[in-house]
Amino acid sequence: MAINLRGSFVLDEVKNVRINIGKIVEEEMEWEEETGPTPKPGIMELRKWDRRLLERYEPFYAPMQDFCNLCTMGPCDLSGNKRGACGINLKNTKARLVTIACSIGSAAHTAHARHMLDHIIEEYGEDMPIDLGPDVNVEAPIIRTVIGIKPRTLGDLREALTWAEKEIVKVLHSTHIGNEEDILDYESKAMHVSMADHVGMEVADIAQIVAFNLPKADPDTALVDTGFGIVDKSKPVIVVVGHNVMYARPVADYLEEKGLSDKFELAGLCCTSHDMTRYNAKAKIFGPISYQLRVIRAGIPDVIISDEQCIRADLLSACEEMAIPLIATSDAAVRGLPNRNDDPVEDIIEDLISGKTPGVFLSEPEKIAEVVPKVAEAVFKKKQETEMFLTEDQLIEEVNKCTQCMNCVFTCPHSLRIDQGMESAQKGDFSKLASLEEVCIACRKCEQVCPKDIKILSVIMKTGLKGLLSKTGKTRVGRGPIQDTEIRKVGQPIVFGQIPGVIAAVGCTNYPDEMVDLRIILDEFLRRRYIVVTSGCHAMDIGMLKDEEGKTLYEKYPGNFDAGGLVNVGSCVANSHIAGATIKIANIFAMRPLRGNYAEIADYILNRVGAVGFSWGPYSHKAASIATGFNRLGVPVVVGPHGTKYRRAYIGKPWKKENWWVYDIKTGKKVYIEPAPDSLLLAVETKEEAIVQLAKLTIRPNDTGMGRQIKLTHYLELSKKYLGRYPDDWPIYVRSEADLPLRQKEELLKILEEEHGWKIDWNKKKILEGPIRPLDPGFNPTLVEEVYDKYSRKK
Amino acid sequence: MEFPFEISPMYEGERIRKSDMYVELGGPTQPGFELVVSANKDEIEDMKFTLIGPDLNEMEEGKAYPYAMIYRIAGELVEKDLEPVVERRNHDFQNYIAGYMHLNQRYDIWIRISKSAVQKGLNSLEQIAKATMMLFKNELPFIEKIEATYVTDQAEVEKRLEEAMKIYEERDERTLTLHDEDVDDFYSCTLCQSFAPTNVCVISPDRVSLCGAITWFDGRAAAKVDPEGPNAPIPKGELVDEIGGEYTGVNEFAKERSGGEYDRIKLHSFFEFPHTSCGCFEVIGFYMPEVDGIGWVHRGYDAPAPNGLTFSTMAGQTGGGKQVVGFLGIGIAYFRSPKFIQADGGWKRTVWMPKSLKERIQEFIPEDMRDKIATEEDASNLDELKEFLKKVNHPVVTGIIRDVDGIKITDGWIEEEEVTEVTPEEEAQALQIREQPQIPSMQIQPMYQPGYQPAPQMLPAPSSGVIKLVLKNAKINIEKIIVSKEKD
Repeated sequence: MAINLRGSFVLDEVKNVRINIGKIVEEEMEWEEETGPTPKPGIMELRKWDRRLLERYEPFYAPMQDFCNLCTMGPCDLSGNKRGACGINLKNTKARLVTIACSIGSAAHTAHARHMLDHIIEEYGEDMPIDLGPDVNVEAPIIRTVIGIKPRTLGDLREALTWAEKEIVKVLHSTHIGNEEDILDYESKAMHVSMADHVGMEVADIAQIVAFNLPKADPDTALVDTGFGIVDKSKPVIVVVGHNVMYARPVADYLEEKGLSDKFELAGLCCTSHDMTRYNAKAKIFGPISYQLRVIRAGIPDVIISDEQCIRADLLSACEEMAIPLIATSDAAVRGLPNRNDDPVEDIIEDLISGKTPGVFLSEPEKIAEVVPKVAEAVFKKKQETEMFLTEDQLIEEVNKCTQCMNCVFTCPHSLRIDQGMESAQKGDFSKLASLEEVCIACRKCEQVCPKDIKILSVIMKTGLKGLLSKTGKTRVGRGPIQDTEIRKVGQPIVFGQIPGVIAAVGCTNYPDEMVDLRIILDEFLRRRYIVVTSGCHAMDIGMLKDEEGKTLYEKYPGNFDAGGLVNVGSCVANSHIAGATIKIANIFAMRPLRGNYAEIADYILNRVGAVGFSWGPYSHKAASIATGFNRLGVPVVVGPHGTKYRRAYIGKPWKKENWWVYDIKTGKKVYIEPAPDSLLLAVETKEEAIVQLAKLTIRPNDTGMGRQIKLTHYLELSKKYLGRYPDDWPIYVRSEADLPLRQKEELLKILEEEHGWKIDWNKKKILEGPIRPLDPGFNPTLVEEVYDKYSRKK
Repeated sequence: MEFPFEISPMYEGERIRKSDMYVELGGPTQPGFELVVSANKDEIEDMKFTLIGPDLNEMEEGKAYPYAMIYRIAGELVEKDLEPVVERRNHDFQNYIAGYMHLNQRYDIWIRISKSAVQKGLNSLEQIAKATMMLFKNELPFIEKIEATYVTDQAEVEKRLEEAMKIYEERDERTLTLHDEDVDDFYSCTLCQSFAPTNVCVISPDRVSLCGAITWFDGRAAAKVDPEGPNAPIPKGELVDEIGGEYTGVNEFAKERSGGEYDRIKLHSFFEFPHTSCGCFEVIGFYMPEVDGIGWVHRGYDAPAPNGLTFSTMAGQTGGGKQVVGFLGIGIAYFRSPKFIQADGGWKRTVWMPKSLKERIQEFIPEDMRDKIATEEDASNLDELKEFLKKVNHPVVTGIIRDVDGIKITDGWIEEEEVTEVTPEEEAQALQIREQPQIPSMQIQPMYQPGYQPAPQMLPAPSSGVIKLVLKNAKINIEKIIVSKEKD
């Protein structure tokens, strides 16, 4: 008998009923903004947008090997357009590898976020409100845009995180043998998982800002000591290394509570140190991953706390060599150490001090807080004063072993001429070896191939010790988000051509040459009144480099998001604020709804926001996912030469005119445009090339005349200054005489007429014929049909 | 012409310290000024330079000298009203010159030339003048001919400064006395359309652009350079509403340039067809129904206004070229306008602004209102504001009689209603009722407008025929409960 279950029911009796209510929301707190087309998108929802991008910015593959050995059917030779046993071809293996790399990067930030959020909610409760200061109204631009929620409390962030985790698993699934056949589908998935990465980063950083009271969009944070030479070695030195401040924080708290802050040195390597200083500005920053072996081999730490991500996989053995106890805290990197969470603190301390165990795994914050200072103090007291790296005699002994066999040179990622350094040193001139310190990324590959077992790294560091110790600069503490009001303030100078663009220096330290190049590049843009935003390794590298007057860039330029401002947002996960700022522009100036409206926002950014990402020394998988996430959002990224080893770039082909079109909402027409930006992901080889490309990639189709004028001015000037000539392609960016640089106007008009056949009215200095399209102040470009329909229907 | 110095916008922010300075011109210790005047074409010898007084290479290092820069410009389209606009660009262009720092304007100019510029070959003011004139002509092609006279002779600078002062005064007089009714054309600014595609700023003599960067005179100059550019003339057309500042020409223009997003704009109205905004407005005005008055807060003030909201939060309610009633973005210079939101009572409707903003525009507030406008020191919340307004007997309390036509536009506060719990919803409704007569076709958008979804049906009382359910060992999982305010 069918029972009609429609209608109302009365509960007559309830026994042993468990009612679990997930979430209670007062209706008026619900978000008024209409939900867009893609809240919590799956793999398919944004595929169309990706294809739009990828049709224009075709993937360009640069394989490091032409075989695949991911499964047992292989290894398969894929050269000469051959397919592997599973049917995959070379391009597709590379696309798959890129997807895997992005998934790893995304998983790293997202797992970090999960760990942090769960812990924080346990400690502070899920109702802790998200408040990022009075000038931040759009609190979570990425989450709003991707997930379609407006998080008000820490608990609300879970929804975003759960989505990200689900998508990462789905994308990783697609990399299993026998899945995708089309490179664009893999690329779309790489973009998807990288967008999830941006969500994960935003969750992590918002959670830690709110819970740990890190700076909230404060442009004027403290300056903290940065560089190899910053610690006072007359005190016990505690060093944290990694990317998750959860474990370092209790140590700082413990020292504060016990009034011991001034009795210890607390310094960090990699992003944990950024977050440490955001938490407590007494902490110090040694530097990025390339400083890990420098600091350890110099014997500076009395104890090391490691957490997760970019940490050397030989950390334990490096610490053991120097008798530095290691406390591994993250389950992502247990390092083979015994889990001592259940043991009494005294026993752990005893075992570490006595050397009975070289290290422990310990993840209980309270225990870490107690163990670390005590171990540091004991080790410090035991320690005898020794010379850093090597004694003079040892140095000479090591140097004299060298036979110039060149093995080290061939294995060095930068092919540094260690042989020449050694040869000169054998003749008594150590300067060549010393200069290698500036360039060496301290990977230690050279030592392993040396047939004479020379401690090459120590030799280089010892000879360059003076320079190393002089690295004592300042980093402005990561400030977190960009204020909404700062974004409002720069709107006018951007359209008036007073701010040429935004350069976001984000990334690792696999530099092609000296770290100093990064400073030169950023200084050039800061002097030209670009807004420079930075984070992570790049943000700490420039903190240790001083100019002739002894000033770092942070001391030379203010920390606000404005012309000539140098904005350090913080650690890797704080990168989300850079992507967030571009999204806020769309929301603040155009009132574009963010809620579940990703493609429209990305389209807006691609066509209007002159921001370019820059990773001069990319290596990590996180850098891959960060960059690819920016790409999907419509922000081009320039990477240094090692970035080619990501195996894929997105390079537009300006000569394919049919690729460069938009719909113009104003005129209702499909319009062919100048190729701006002309690439989405591009590797460059030299700093000169980097500077010129960065300047070019800030150009956008919607630039006002004044905006284009200033962008072209810098593009031309920088090309002339660094490459000795005007770039070949500048004329394609000229829409009218108003776009031409003021100083060179006449000269350029002449070139346009004589070399490019343009027609000029010389009386009025007006261009009559030549440009791809004329300058139209109301030009309203979009690549997305739905956006076109939405805004043109009103007519 | 080749110059011994670089010319680039990158030098704009360049500062020359005393120790690096070769000479100082004008500045705190010496008289100085800059002036652009228009002339007939046949009076001018193009690119001619005249120097009266010692040249750079005759000056003593480390010293300060008097300095006057006088440019005469001519061209078909050149007119007197363009002089100040062109003159202001002297600052921009000269700052492009490496080793040459130009600060301030008019009779306050302060220039420093660096030693390194002199070492690189800068030895005559002629080089500076020629470079500046070249930039003038490149950027402003309506200048067909230009000549420059620079003066470094003390007596001559002082003598000419006196004449210049008269010109400055005349110009100021013109700016102050030129009103919307005196001109045929307003100017548009669509520069912000690159970010806010439907926004149109209408710039009239009595209304500066929202960002504060473009006056009517600027708009006029830009329109001459490029009539199809971002600043186009808007023929006013017919006057529809004198007090609100509505013109048929403006309405048509707005409709066309906003892509049909809206078709009426009243330039001096807060509530009725207000001007749209992009996002870079300097100040936001906000209506507080509780006191029936308007507050203003600027970008630099980050504490909450008496309504409990920050600049950022309120600014988030408007922008994107949308007409939003209840909030209005303006440029700071609009406070100077004698037509400042005159349709809604102007200064008499203004009840609150941050102290720093109030101080900045003090002189433009009518004297009888100056002490009646609260700052954060007087009131940081609505209760305190109410108290304050009552204490000073602010016009909003008793009802505003509009200055412009003597009509009473508000009733003042109805005798203190019994203070019962006012729910946000009631408040919003009250707001709508109060404003409706003034706003025939538009909806006020209160901050968190309560959604008016019907509340979930209440369960009817059990009656016969209803199925009874007994739950045992059940798990009820509710993903989300939305709590609605009951209606009535």
